[in-house]
Amino acid sequence: MSNVKCDHCHLVFSDSVMIHEGTLHFCCKGCQGIYHLLKDEGLDSFYTKMGEATLTPPSEQLEPSENFDTPSFRDRFVTELPENFSQVSLIIEGIHCAACVWLNEKALHKMAGVIEAHINYTNNKARIVWDPNLVKLSEIIEMIRAVGYNAYPYDASMQEVRANKERKEYYLRMAVAAFASMNMMWIAVAQYAGYFTGMSQEIKTILNIAEWVLATPALFYSGWVFYRGAYYGLRNGAVTMDMLVVTGSTLAYCYSIYITVFEKGEAYFDSVAMIITFVLLGKFLEVLSRKHAADTLDVMGKYIPNEVSILDGETIRSVRVSDVNVGDTIIIRTGERAAIDGEVISGEGSFDESNLTGEADPIFKRKGDLIISGTTSIDALLHYRALKDYAHSTLSHLVNLLENAMRQKPRIEQLANRLSESFSSTILFLAIGTFWVWYFWPHTFDRALMVGISVIIIACPCALALATPVATIVGLALGAQRSILFKSAAQIETMAKATMFVLDKTGTITKGRPAVVYATYHAPYDRSVLLALVSSSKHPISLGIVEYLDKTESAIQTGGISEVNEIPARGLVGRANGVVIAGGNALFMAEMGIETNTLSDKSLFYYAVDGELCATFELQDLPKEHAFESIKILRDFGLRVVMLTGDHTASALRVAAAAGIDEVHAHVTAQEKADFIAKAQDEGHIVVMAGDGVNDLLALARADIGIAMGNGSDIAIEVSDIVLLNDSLTSLAEAYAISRRTYGLIKQNLGISLVYNAITIPLAMMGYIIPLIAAISMSFSSLLVVGNSMRSRWMYK
Amino acid sequence: MDSWVVAMMLGASLFLGSIALVAFLWGIKSGQFDDAKRMMNQVQFDDEKELNDAAIQQKKKEALKKKEYRPE
Repeated sequence: MSNVKCDHCHLVFSDSVMIHEGTLHFCCKGCQGIYHLLKDEGLDSFYTKMGEATLTPPSEQLEPSENFDTPSFRDRFVTELPENFSQVSLIIEGIHCAACVWLNEKALHKMAGVIEAHINYTNNKARIVWDPNLVKLSEIIEMIRAVGYNAYPYDASMQEVRANKERKEYYLRMAVAAFASMNMMWIAVAQYAGYFTGMSQEIKTILNIAEWVLATPALFYSGWVFYRGAYYGLRNGAVTMDMLVVTGSTLAYCYSIYITVFEKGEAYFDSVAMIITFVLLGKFLEVLSRKHAADTLDVMGKYIPNEVSILDGETIRSVRVSDVNVGDTIIIRTGERAAIDGEVISGEGSFDESNLTGEADPIFKRKGDLIISGTTSIDALLHYRALKDYAHSTLSHLVNLLENAMRQKPRIEQLANRLSESFSSTILFLAIGTFWVWYFWPHTFDRALMVGISVIIIACPCALALATPVATIVGLALGAQRSILFKSAAQIETMAKATMFVLDKTGTITKGRPAVVYATYHAPYDRSVLLALVSSSKHPISLGIVEYLDKTESAIQTGGISEVNEIPARGLVGRANGVVIAGGNALFMAEMGIETNTLSDKSLFYYAVDGELCATFELQDLPKEHAFESIKILRDFGLRVVMLTGDHTASALRVAAAAGIDEVHAHVTAQEKADFIAKAQDEGHIVVMAGDGVNDLLALARADIGIAMGNGSDIAIEVSDIVLLNDSLTSLAEAYAISRRTYGLIKQNLGISLVYNAITIPLAMMGYIIPLIAAISMSFSSLLVVGNSMRSRWMYK
Repeated sequence: MDSWVVAMMLGASLFLGSIALVAFLWGIKSGQFDDAKRMMNQVQFDDEKELNDAAIQQKKKEALKKKEYRPE
């Protein structure tokens, strides 16, 4: 059979599965619908603009767009603009080509009340301004979905506004600095040529003045960030790298003005511009990588605040979580997350509490049981009475404690900053010493001053200031290739100094969901029917069996079943080929009159056809792939690896044994986890904590470095310093290896710049330094540092 | 005499260069470089139609501001 392209998404499928319509082919109903919509709306020039790009076919399961109109959504994501306009920031999913951006903007502009729709192609973020009197946000979202994309909000918080402003500011400063130093170069060529071939003082002065004009904006506009940094450093009583850059460049600048005005000697304006440009470049790259990290995180946090449904007499009402009173009856449905603590009044079903307790198996709740906020209903539809209001519920209580934990987080000083303190005092001492020696070893005051100043200028730490940023950027880039997101550069160094790793169990070491470990077959049966049955459920056990069947059976198709019914905390029942099929736990089988006699500490799933038991599956939360190897790598580095979990001891020990961890603490609460880390820190450990759940929050915030898993809860991602986007433990080990390597690189780079200083400073003290040598040595040492960092990037595979 | 030629040429070229710099800074400030990927594809979205769309959009905005345009 030949393959053809879908006329909407351009993906290639076999001709037999396509929907045919005249000469057109579509891979699914969704694509067909969008194709006709675009034709009708006159937007079909989209396809010519799109070229060879392919799209993702529209997804079917979307949450109701009414969620976008709720008051709690408005409170959190919508900003009111003057003239009664509203504004929201969205992330558009499914943008693959520039034409997609065009299509979305165009479709939105056609809507009556939409005033502005701007989509950023690079990070897929959109800003939409609309008039709420004319159009509802849900209608706008429906339009985006109708043309085949999806949108969800992100918090365009102060933080992002600030990050954008910072990036723009650095961009401007960088442009000015680059302009100044590049123009400076060709003037410098004339000057140095003149130095060797002879040049009249008049021309020299003209060139000096031109350089002066260029150096001024470079120092005071572009270099402003260093003045600011130095000032804040001084206020905190620290001599930072910025301080060194500022003193070096300002002294060189003042001295050069003196030279220009009194027409003697050589000016150092080119060094001023070069120092600022080089060091600013390092900072600029750091800001860019931070912006990139922020963008990536925004895309991950797909989260829409849910309203709570409460039962008010006979009617069901949606209210904001903050408006729920103690004693209200709350309805929770399948898949919803509880926002308020309470006690079940009626109904029953399973809850996923792994987020809070670390317990991977679903917990069955019935009348009288407690519902804890932050847990998710797997298959339960029940009514419960609020025992606390939102502010006192477990989840928000933890969030309040966070602030305290964040404040106690230790800050580890960076090597470069420690070095710069002693370095700058040494240089000042040497410079003053040089001046006095030259002055008393009879020379003129001018000559002695010139030599003294040249010591400071030559020592001005271009390479020293570049050493850390360039190395960390290489580290950040290496991490990004391996789905490791460092939120800021300074964390790489702290991570490299870590002595102890604390790991959460569920979701961090283990997959966080049950997988089939053992299957017994009692009678032959049709696998495709079983697959169809379990595929109809979102229960973790069903998902585990789907995964198992997909893995073990080749080319299995889902068979035809009907009348599927999911019975909470029991199992699934349905009909296939005229007989009843059932899958579920032992209780369910007993109720159906089927005898089971397997004894196991694992979760069991039985499958029966027409009252006869056909298969038994044993499921368990397994450690992730490569867990053992990754933890071994960490231990081989000499690190102490500890596992903390809220789960019970037996399963904790089982996972620890499989992952190769000796030190295990089970039954640990969120607060105890944080206390454990605080205690280790008091003993002198630098602690890295990796976790994903709400119960790890305090520990993540308290640890020197918090590492969150990419699929963890959004607050966990927010408080952590490093995010492992692919959730794997291999990345965890790699994150440490990369940090170690980057820290090694920082040390090498600092070493290079110190060696360079050890050579040039004696020369300067002997009075051999002229501006040309200063410029050459400065750029040479900077190139050496950058080159060394690049070398590391190529070598690390 | 020679030195004036040098001074004038330096001044003129730095002046011209600074015009380009100011234009670039304006571009950054007005957000033209915020979206690197879109910038590279701008040629696809740069004909008469797009200009008209932008004009219509602008008119709609003005009308909504003045509350004249209220289709019900």
